[in-house]
Amino acid sequence: MWQRETFKKIKQIPREEHVLPGTALCAGCGGLEALRLAAKVLGDHVVYVNAAGCFTMLAAYPYTSFKGSWLYTTMGSAPAGAQGVRDALDVLIAKGKLPKSEDVKVVVLGGDGSTYDMALSSTSGALHRKLDFYYICYDNEAYGNTGMQLSPATPYAARTATSPCSVQHPAATAQEKKNIFEIWRAHRPPYIATVAPRYPLDLEEKFARAAAFTGPKMFLALSACPTGWVYDPGETPEVAKLAVETGLWPLKEAINGVVTHTYIPKRKPVEAYLKLQGRFRHLFEPTVHTDAIRHIQERVDAYWQQVTKEQA
Amino acid sequence: MVAVRFHGRGGQGAKTASRILGTAAFLSGYVAQDSPIYGAERRGAPVAAFTRFGREPIRERGAITHPDVVVVADASLLEDPGARVLEGARAQTVLFVNSSLSPDALRAHLSLPEQVMTRDVTGIALQQLGQREAISALLGAVAARLVGLEWEPVRQAITRELEDLAVAPPVIEKNLTVAKQCYDSVEPTGLHKGGGQVISAAALHNPIYEPPTKGTARISAAGNSVLRETGGWRTFRPVLVAGKCNGCWLCFVYCPDGVIAMNQDDRPVVDYAHCKGCQICVHECPTHALVAEREQEGGEAWTAK
Repeated sequence: MWQRETFKKIKQIPREEHVLPGTALCAGCGGLEALRLAAKVLGDHVVYVNAAGCFTMLAAYPYTSFKGSWLYTTMGSAPAGAQGVRDALDVLIAKGKLPKSEDVKVVVLGGDGSTYDMALSSTSGALHRKLDFYYICYDNEAYGNTGMQLSPATPYAARTATSPCSVQHPAATAQEKKNIFEIWRAHRPPYIATVAPRYPLDLEEKFARAAAFTGPKMFLALSACPTGWVYDPGETPEVAKLAVETGLWPLKEAINGVVTHTYIPKRKPVEAYLKLQGRFRHLFEPTVHTDAIRHIQERVDAYWQQVTKEQA
Repeated sequence: MVAVRFHGRGGQGAKTASRILGTAAFLSGYVAQDSPIYGAERRGAPVAAFTRFGREPIRERGAITHPDVVVVADASLLEDPGARVLEGARAQTVLFVNSSLSPDALRAHLSLPEQVMTRDVTGIALQQLGQREAISALLGAVAARLVGLEWEPVRQAITRELEDLAVAPPVIEKNLTVAKQCYDSVEPTGLHKGGGQVISAAALHNPIYEPPTKGTARISAAGNSVLRETGGWRTFRPVLVAGKCNGCWLCFVYCPDGVIAMNQDDRPVVDYAHCKGCQICVHECPTHALVAEREQEGGEAWTAK
């Protein structure tokens, strides 16, 4: 049974803010919610290496929301940028030009378009080289910054700007969401975790645990997106909660490849999650796509059956 | 050619309103074009969209610098220098503002064109549609009436554009009913072309970029984003009801922007200069101690510096 060791109560979450307001990110951004909580553990002694994406808006010239440093890269090269920063820090420390006490954490911020798609080779390289860094993917399941186009993280049956409902594909997106967790795990980094900001103690605990490991520390953060998923911004935590409670977004970690589920949901029917979002509305109106909904449910069921089997 | 510029905050539907007007003009037999500003448009951030239509082919492209009609979806944008709502407006430009204030009240502290009209479109939408955003159909209908288009093509355009956005048919029907009310609430205006004194726009100073030889656009400050206030993004503000808070911290924990701090007595203190009004705190408060209050124009409302 997985247990939190550092963060047991909500009032242990640090009061100090490390991602300051005044950014142009959407009201109710689930990705920002995750980053803000993560930064409470990471602190200010950080160099963020940001792949182009929604989080570009965190440090849009001439303003930055970080007290630490921030470096901007193309969508495909943030882990390579992180390697450069890490190497520079290591060289400076080795030469005695930077005291070891002033070393900083290197943290990549990448959206799902970058993570699942454009920066996949760059990430694979960094994992292979065992780069000592954090990687936070804020996964809103589409290319959000450019107007919600299909990405390999888009789940089956979600409507996006480039996967609309059509005669050929009445249930919109025909592809399945790429399993980036397993792709990362195949590289055997010391730490991987999925998080959802609606479960703040689980999130904080995972960032606290990751700090003990040298090498790649990979995070996949559910980033409910009112703009792209089409729901009221106030419902961001509710959507995240249902993603976890229906079993669609498993909360888990993998330490040196060994997976542990950190929360076992009772598994509500997936309709509860789908119905809340405009990107799935076509599954319910004007006619109900029973097959598509059943397909989603069956995949979730199959996943958790496998989990139960492995636990036994 | 008639040039209509829409200003709104991301999520209010300025882009769709401009599409509705473009489609309605096209269905009325005009040549038409509509386009939004492409860029970092965000829910709540200032956005603009442009519609041109006429009898002759339109060669002009891009942003409309000298609009005949300006439709403003959010009155707070008038005072936001970054939104550039009045840029290139002439004295005879028709200005429509979604506001509960009268044109004279708006004029009290702003230099506006001669023809200013206001309607509380947000109020109408809240009352009749029960929504706090997406007033595209209503703004599109108002704009179409101002430039003299018939209702039937407007009705078709709203249906078509909302269908494209996968809006449910009953919601489209409701939107049509309310849009017709908005359409009927204004009169077509005479559009005067050319000439006239340009009303001075709120000055926006473009940053001066150094050449690449001197380095990139580097920010040397730390955490200076707080200088940029986002309080004007709100339609509703979270307000604490005294005595109901149990000090559970959930509002503080779930606020994406980190604008809620807990004071010594474990009560939330909202930074209204930066709160974007997402209402997560209101939704998640277990004791309903935080409630949503509609932003009032003038008075206590947030205004840009």
